[in-house]
Amino acid sequence: MLTVWAAEAGLFVLVVAALLAERPLALTATVAAVAAALALLRLHPGLRRTLSAAFAAHPRAAWFGGAVLALLLPVALRHSPYWTFVATMALLYVTIGQGLNFQIGSAGVINLAGAAFAGLGGYTVGLLTVTAGVPPALALLAGPVVAAAVGALLFVPILKTRGHYLALVTIAFVFIFNILVNNLEFTGGPQGIKNIPTLRLGGHAFTTPLSVLGLTLPYHANFYYAALAMAAVATLAVWRLHNSWLGLALNTLRDDEIAARCSGVPVARQKLIAFTVGNVVIGLGGAFYAVMVGFVSPPDFDFGYSLAMLSVIILGGVDSIGGIVLGACLLIPLPERFRFLHEYRLLLYGIVIVLMLLFRPGGLWPASVRRYGAGGAVSPR
Amino acid sequence: MSLLETKDLTVRFGGLVAVDQVSLSVDEGETVGLIGPNGSGKTTLFNAITGLYPAAGGEVVFRGERLTGLETHVIARRGIARTFQSSRLCLQLSTFDNVLIGLYAHLRAGLWTALVRRARFLGEVRSALGTVRHLLELFNPDLVRRGFDRAGELPQIDRRRVEICRALASRPRLLLLDEPSAGMSPEETAELMKDLRVVREEMPGLSLIVIEHDMYVIEGVSQRVVAFNYGRKIAEGPFAAVAATEEVREAYLGREEASSA
Repeated sequence: MLTVWAAEAGLFVLVVAALLAERPLALTATVAAVAAALALLRLHPGLRRTLSAAFAAHPRAAWFGGAVLALLLPVALRHSPYWTFVATMALLYVTIGQGLNFQIGSAGVINLAGAAFAGLGGYTVGLLTVTAGVPPALALLAGPVVAAAVGALLFVPILKTRGHYLALVTIAFVFIFNILVNNLEFTGGPQGIKNIPTLRLGGHAFTTPLSVLGLTLPYHANFYYAALAMAAVATLAVWRLHNSWLGLALNTLRDDEIAARCSGVPVARQKLIAFTVGNVVIGLGGAFYAVMVGFVSPPDFDFGYSLAMLSVIILGGVDSIGGIVLGACLLIPLPERFRFLHEYRLLLYGIVIVLMLLFRPGGLWPASVRRYGAGGAVSPR
Repeated sequence: MSLLETKDLTVRFGGLVAVDQVSLSVDEGETVGLIGPNGSGKTTLFNAITGLYPAAGGEVVFRGERLTGLETHVIARRGIARTFQSSRLCLQLSTFDNVLIGLYAHLRAGLWTALVRRARFLGEVRSALGTVRHLLELFNPDLVRRGFDRAGELPQIDRRRVEICRALASRPRLLLLDEPSAGMSPEETAELMKDLRVVREEMPGLSLIVIEHDMYVIEGVSQRVVAFNYGRKIAEGPFAAVAATEEVREAYLGREEASSA
């Protein structure tokens, strides 16, 4: 148990150091420490075995430790609102990535319109709060509903096309979405929608600093905790669906549609369910983005963001729920950390996709076989 | 009354008549062997029965009900399961998953149960895995031990067994086996014969149609043999009688005049 916590604490220190180190010396030391840790893991199979045995033996302690550290992260980052914001963005991409991965990874429904569905959630929040005066919390829940409902427009292409052809249809959908919000009157055109009111929780506005344990955290920490809860719920929900008969049917029809049909799986229906579930989760992420930054505009949801979402999946591991968390937490902070990369973000995502597909198509954390939950209960004998 | 009946079933691909007015019946508990040269329409007949190909004419009646025009997954749920000539296992998925999908029509837990009512869902998982284990054990107890290994890690004969288990998991009334011995050594084929006998003993009411090129298998398992050539049924009866028919010999060996001329 102590091994687990020590490993988690070590990882936490490395992450915080990697985010905050500014001076050349500190930065060099951090890079060296990260490299040393990776090399140690790679070259020392004994250590790897010890660690994985420890995590397997104490799953509860591992979850508990991980949760505590995730809650402590804003405290460690309290002098940097910027990095708190970036960490929140990473959590947002965890949520969106889980939804998109359910479509692309589990069901093989290649959806490159992730940005459009996030945009539908975001614009729904903008329109409902600013134009119609709906409370933000309520609008936040309406976002996913609208994303799923508009997603029904793509039902026919999903059933009639597959693989690359479906990918092309969904790419077209992102562009149509962008052109529409750019040109329509009620979506604010290129200006988008400004002054989206922020969330409140029992009188505490999310734009005011947060006090925790006698420490004052930047207001971004409010959103961090909300995004953490959202990502946790989305990940748990998707994990349960993946480990259900739906997940089994989706994986089967993804790998061999004829075998699935001959086994009695209503393939069309299951694909549409997967697509809709994914859009709900993606739309929720987009809606959260809108209340967090307070405005939405067309460039926030252009095709580049679809690419970013896709590269999160491919870096982490297609159809791997843990992989999505890892992918988002690596890929979102990276271009922020190295400012020179920021200009070339799209290039970075493209390179990540190509390199991973060439050298490690399963991702950094490849999908494992489905075990349907509660380890002992369903293990073979 | 027979379990399955095709009446003048016809399948066309453009101008080609792949299955030509085939009338065939299978009784409950009967095993029918289906033979004929490559391209004679045997697999196409399976695809037409299971709804993968639309029938251009005629009909399929199963347990007194017309199947023609129904979707494949609906036909599967009525009690017809099949295997394929070239394996259609999902090699990335576990052995258990590959058999569990066969149970799909009998699984009750929907999204809500999986998301929220965990005790009920895990209960169904346990009982479903129990059924799967029992099936795999009939063929090879080792498959149960390797249940959470990916199907791609299994040897060829075990993959074929898993495919048969997947088909049996749906508790079908009729099982269509498309060349189960394809690509197997004589030893493996002998194993397969044993497996088919196990199936017969476990499920005496099950009817089978077996497509095979291996006459040893056909002779060993089938009570009745139907021979195909150019999409038509050319002979039907006990193995020895069909094998002795002039037309069948011609279909396999060519016409005697042609070879001597």
